[in-house]
Amino acid sequence: MQNLFVSSIKLYALGFYNFKFYIFNFPFCRRQEGGVTVEFKSRIIIITGNFGSGKTEIAINLARKLNEEGKKIALVDLDIVNPYFRSREMKEELEKEGIRVVAPRGALAQADLPAISPEIMGVLEDASYHVIMDVGGDDLGAVALGRFHGYLSTHSYEMYMVVNAFRPFTRDEGGFVEMMQGIEQSSRLNIDALISNPNLGAETQKDHIIQGHQKVLTMAQQNHLDIKFLAVEEGLSQEIIELYKDIPIFPIKLYMLPPWC
Amino acid sequence: MGEKILMKGAEALGEAAIKAGCRFFFGYPITPQNEVPEYMSKRLPKEGGVFLQAESEVAAINMVYGAAGAGARVMTSSSSPGISLKMEGISYIAGAKLPCVIVNIVRGGPGLGGIQPAQSDYFQATKGGGHGDYRMIVLAPSSVQEMVDLMGDAFDLADLYRMPTMILGDGMLGQMMEPVEFKERKPIALPPKDWATTGKKGRGKQNIINSLFLIAEECEEHNFELKKRYNEIEKNEVKFESYNMEDADVAIIAYGTTARIVKTAIKRAESKGMKVGLIRPITLWPFPEKVIAAAAEKVKAFLTVEMSTGQMVEDVRLAVNGQKPVYFYGRTGGMVPSPEEMVAEVEKILG
Repeated sequence: MQNLFVSSIKLYALGFYNFKFYIFNFPFCRRQEGGVTVEFKSRIIIITGNFGSGKTEIAINLARKLNEEGKKIALVDLDIVNPYFRSREMKEELEKEGIRVVAPRGALAQADLPAISPEIMGVLEDASYHVIMDVGGDDLGAVALGRFHGYLSTHSYEMYMVVNAFRPFTRDEGGFVEMMQGIEQSSRLNIDALISNPNLGAETQKDHIIQGHQKVLTMAQQNHLDIKFLAVEEGLSQEIIELYKDIPIFPIKLYMLPPWC
Repeated sequence: MGEKILMKGAEALGEAAIKAGCRFFFGYPITPQNEVPEYMSKRLPKEGGVFLQAESEVAAINMVYGAAGAGARVMTSSSSPGISLKMEGISYIAGAKLPCVIVNIVRGGPGLGGIQPAQSDYFQATKGGGHGDYRMIVLAPSSVQEMVDLMGDAFDLADLYRMPTMILGDGMLGQMMEPVEFKERKPIALPPKDWATTGKKGRGKQNIINSLFLIAEECEEHNFELKKRYNEIEKNEVKFESYNMEDADVAIIAYGTTARIVKTAIKRAESKGMKVGLIRPITLWPFPEKVIAAAAEKVKAFLTVEMSTGQMVEDVRLAVNGQKPVYFYGRTGGMVPSPEEMVAEVEKILG
């Protein structure tokens, strides 16, 4: 029964893949002065990955970027795994900029409950919104996406997996594949491309990015996946842009900082 | 070895324990330390170890008791309310003279409290939250790297003195991510575990692990023996960090996450012309009272900052012994003091 279930997902996935292929061939990015604009074909962007891979920072930065481009943005905090450092902590600041942050309300926002706001379905169904879903880490966090499978499987979306090759479980090919399959199986959705986010936190240097990104490149190639962009902390992004001509560099500002910074 | 990776505090604790030879972990989930059991459940089976999620904290600590009695390097981890549940077992482990490592990633209390970081379990950790005349060595890291480094110490100290050792962190340390390196540790000479219940192996007498002493004289003797050990630890195992103390007018005493924030506050105070230093206890028990007493001869005043309504400050007052005023500033219930709040307190003290 279990096997039947899994293989039917895979068959379904193959069908879906052809559709996605069309997106990959589309010129989705163009280089601009001082960076690259990352463009998306769908209005629903799902950010998954190993917990601690940088999903929240990337989701917040994407939300702000697309908001600046004049799009109407809803950032969905679907994190049912992390108790701290979640998108909802930026709610006030982001909403001042006009970004709608969807997260459990009131006291529940600070709880460690797998609470999923009914507002999420609201923004998914409202075609005027560009929705960025910041999903909880690992296969455990991706479970929450299952709730939206019915909607997502009949609509266009893009799902990305953030990979930081300096994290313990995605340091090598084996760990990466296990992580990716875990996320795909528990979300019952397919990862379209990777987001490379090599960093060692506050100690990140240029060489770490080069070394970490090389690993993600290899992982991507061996699994026939594209890399949507390379995320780099804004202070280092200029140096990195000069190094890579064939991959979009997405400079990110860090928000989830400890209280002594 | 030597390669840096980016880890959450809670994950780093798990890996450091494995590197220190821990092959048994018994626990029960509670926020904000779930990444410890999560990590152990993934890694321990690959190392030939045992990860077991018990039916409760009480069961978990008694499994620790059993494994420690059989001579294993064993660890459990929890957060405040869960540690309260483990207290009976911890007292038994101390009474039975068994080594183990207990991690407490403190959250706001009392009762269920909340899931945000706190330091309000200081009394429970250092003054014996369980019953009886026992002590625990309590290590208080203030970075993810230090969590890793102290884990090796925790297991060694537990084995050396045959007693439970606690790593007392807070939710911030458990949840934050920092680069870490697992350095090769120099092995230290440890006494053989000839007391462990691993079969008679030809010995005349069987080993029995127990904390029951029905004869009062024997129970007193047992307590005196424990006390002798505790005195030795107070003499030999005190650890602290002294920062910017050379010509400080105000010495801030803080540990863990709070000490990290103090360092930022010290820099800001400096730019306003104030001379502030930090004494950071790394062992909360044994408490670094001598260095604080010595500092009392030089500084104008002390300021203790904690994420509690004032617990460690009592030990600071005992150490200062009335020589200089001791002030207190605390945030609690999951609130974290900011560098600005600390600078304002120093400004008030210096008038």
